[in-house]
Amino acid sequence: MLALLQVLLSGLITGSLYGLLALGIVLIYRTTGVLNFAYGALAAASTCFLYILLTGPRLPFWLAVLLSLLFALLLGAVVERAFARPLLAAPILTKAIATLALALVLQTVIQALWPQLTTPVHFPTPFEGHALRLGGFYLSLTDGLVLLITALLLIVLQLFLLRTRLGIAMRATADGLEAARLMGIPVGLIFLLVWMLASLLAAIAGILIAARQTVIDVQFMDPVLLLAFIGAVLGGLDRLEGAVLGGLLVGLAENVLALLLAGHSLGPLDLGNPGIREALIFAGFVLLLLLRPRGLFGGAALRRV
Amino acid sequence: MAMKRLVLPLKRSRDSQNAPIEATPLTASGRPERTSGGVRHAWQRATASLLVLIALVLLPSLFDLLFGDSADFQLHRVTLILILAIAALAQNLLTGYAAQPSLGNAAFFGVSAYLLAWLNSDLQQPYWLAVLIALLACALLGLIVGGPALSVSGAHLAIATLGLVVLTGSLLTLWDTSAGRQSYELTALPEALGDDRVLYYLVLTLTALVFFGAFQLLRSRIGRAWIALRDSEVAAAACGVALTRYKLLAFVVSAVLTGLAGVLYATWGTTATASMSSVDQTIAFLTMIVVGGAGSLSGSLLGALFVGLVPLLLGELPDPLTLGPLQLPIATLTTGIYGVLLLLALIFFPGGLSAIFSRGGRLAQGEGGKP
Amino acid sequence: MSDEWQTAPQEAEAHQPRTLLEVQGLTVRFGGLVAVADLDLRVEEGEIFALVGPNGAGKTTVLNCISGFVRPSSGSIRLAGQDLLALGTERRAALGIGRTFQNGQLFSSMTVLENLLVGRHSRLRAGLFQSLLPIGPARREEAAARQRAREVLAWLGLESYADRLVATLPAGLQKLVGVARALAGEPRLLLLDEPAAGVPLREVAALADQLRRWNAELGLTLLLIEHNMEVVQAVAQRICVLNYGRKLAEGEPATVLREPAVLEAYLGREEEIDAREEGEVSDHAAG
Repeated sequence: MLALLQVLLSGLITGSLYGLLALGIVLIYRTTGVLNFAYGALAAASTCFLYILLTGPRLPFWLAVLLSLLFALLLGAVVERAFARPLLAAPILTKAIATLALALVLQTVIQALWPQLTTPVHFPTPFEGHALRLGGFYLSLTDGLVLLITALLLIVLQLFLLRTRLGIAMRATADGLEAARLMGIPVGLIFLLVWMLASLLAAIAGILIAARQTVIDVQFMDPVLLLAFIGAVLGGLDRLEGAVLGGLLVGLAENVLALLLAGHSLGPLDLGNPGIREALIFAGFVLLLLLRPRGLFGGAALRRV
Repeated sequence: MAMKRLVLPLKRSRDSQNAPIEATPLTASGRPERTSGGVRHAWQRATASLLVLIALVLLPSLFDLLFGDSADFQLHRVTLILILAIAALAQNLLTGYAAQPSLGNAAFFGVSAYLLAWLNSDLQQPYWLAVLIALLACALLGLIVGGPALSVSGAHLAIATLGLVVLTGSLLTLWDTSAGRQSYELTALPEALGDDRVLYYLVLTLTALVFFGAFQLLRSRIGRAWIALRDSEVAAAACGVALTRYKLLAFVVSAVLTGLAGVLYATWGTTATASMSSVDQTIAFLTMIVVGGAGSLSGSLLGALFVGLVPLLLGELPDPLTLGPLQLPIATLTTGIYGVLLLLALIFFPGGLSAIFSRGGRLAQGEGGKP
Repeated sequence: MSDEWQTAPQEAEAHQPRTLLEVQGLTVRFGGLVAVADLDLRVEEGEIFALVGPNGAGKTTVLNCISGFVRPSSGSIRLAGQDLLALGTERRAALGIGRTFQNGQLFSSMTVLENLLVGRHSRLRAGLFQSLLPIGPARREEAAARQRAREVLAWLGLESYADRLVATLPAGLQKLVGVARALAGEPRLLLLDEPAAGVPLREVAALADQLRRWNAELGLTLLLIEHNMEVVQAVAQRICVLNYGRKLAEGEPATVLREPAVLEAYLGREEEIDAREEGEVSDHAAG
């Protein structure tokens, strides 16, 4: 029983991280129609930047975090201006391919600038090795922080999108470009801000994931990204709440499957292998997609311009 | 008359919605215009294709003169380009012509190679039988993937198919690790295929046949149906094109051709690796059709030439390359260059290389992902 | 030269008109909105029938139901006695329903001739493996199809444009290519979605002549949606007026268009004419 609760807890933690990523993916998809396969690379870029700040100039942890979040905002702005803007009117697949290309470029640049990140390196945080014990529960300090930060972030984000003028403008742009334009919303500026916001979310998720894994390399976000995408699609790709729920679902499924499959084997095949787990999640995802083509929580079809 | 009064306001409201229209002769007795796709054009294309083919047939002799002892080695590299061309064509038929936003071809690429390795090396089946089974398996997989693909929309399809590639890759890796190997060596290949020249001519024959078949297909009711459903699904259906059947057919044909490229690639390198089913591989396929030109046969060839040549040219550079404070392994640089060129091509040349070569040619401009 | 491909009225039972298209109790709901309500229509073989009504009256929806783009909530649609509702759009095309679109929907990357060849799609049989070969039955069939497509073009006076890309043609010609594409499939029933839309006033009479010519020389049954009453009066033998999805009146144009209810439907709503119909086409047709 306790083991199950423990698994559910860690499912919640991974799930909230997937949810955070899915949120950024959906935000960008909804407002600019870009299926952003470079989202993982964006997260990795900011996280790698933080790693360099921590290991190179040995800045204090929080200062380094602050700088890398600023870096993330800048990165988002640069990517939007240099790459997303010229492709705004292109078909969805073209944009998706472009993000795959962007991911390659970002990874190449990181490797060129910081060759040490080509192979896995230790990602140092002040929380490593500390843990909380609540009754029989075991919660590492990192995980506790992840829960706290993602929960806070989701609340703040929700308030931002619902209450502030900027947030409302963003949602209006997501709902209909032309209408937003007619309402006098500076659509171009909104695109820029959405990419910056999404890049910020990516950076936070990336840093938290790195802190949990304690080991990173330039591609450390790749396996995570697919699961986040699955979460986003399950959420319907068009609703922010859906994205978070979808992400949570994937995280829970992953951890429960890990518990169920651990130690079992089928002939020579070790069922505890992450590959098997991923395969099962993916199979379930496809099945759900077939049963509900618009995702579990998805609404009507998204019509983009 | 009452009617006249009715007509005019209605009429005006319509006219204001429609853009002004050029003189519209209802009986088009206008002057005959110069045709763009006429007989002469077709002859030019046929001649050009024939010249390319002859050049490729004579290439080994040319290489003998040029490279002497290393001719076979150079030929081996050209063989790879021809294999890539088949894969590019497969992606192009599916994405450039039939407009299915599938990113999943790399899954078939790896699966067919592993099937060949397993059947031929482990089960000791004859090479050609193994190839045949691998291709049939790809057809079946294409059907299995294509079926669901029809019921989900563009964005979902792109994610699901890319997921399929990642998943296939990790399952193939799992197969490798649980069998205790790095990659799957093809140990029982027919001896003749070990000869670079034989392999070259075999691949050349197959590539030529595949391109010729595709050329014919695109000028048949099937190819036209694909292009029609790309241009307007609604009108295609109204003309009697069974959308589901033709999309499914595109998936199957594309899967089989990718499978063919996969077995040839494995034969070429005498090994099958899990990286054949990876996002990088998907990007390579997409780069070929985007840079070459979506919806163009010659574009597939040009794209393959491009993707095949870049690593060869970069291979001449020192590894790792040092640029001031930067140090780059060539492999990384190669993928990075694909990325940059892909981005540049998407932003500045949506029609790809083939559109640049045949200015104003009848080439679809990056129509691949028409949602 | 064009005689070969013309489909004259099949049987010479003549005089006794046979019903080609029969629509009964057609109702279409989109969410809470009733787009078409309990509509009955009967189009006789060989006649020109026009469906008219203000914007948003549901005309395009009816057409889309007949082509199979919209699934009605209830009712039945029969072509020469055969139930259409169970069939997909492409099967209906094969049964002889041709159609044009208000916004063209031409295959823009193809030549005019290729557009017509797609129009003949359901009359061609070549399978995958035959199509790969440079010789054989598929190529013979293809050659014959090209020949016929050229005949259709010649009949419409479009032969000099056969190898032009449709995208390079002026809008008026594109409209005609849309018709040619539908005719290439040798339909029994041709659905025309606003053939006069965008046609300059001075050309309207010529258009009416064309419509009558297709009807007379091909023995083709025409069902058209039209706003332009001049065209409707000039060509339609019978018309049906729709308003808010309901049938307001049906019969000969001269009589129907004088009925007070019809006049009111038009004059009363003149002010609110908007782009609703436009939206309807793209929305429903896409589904």
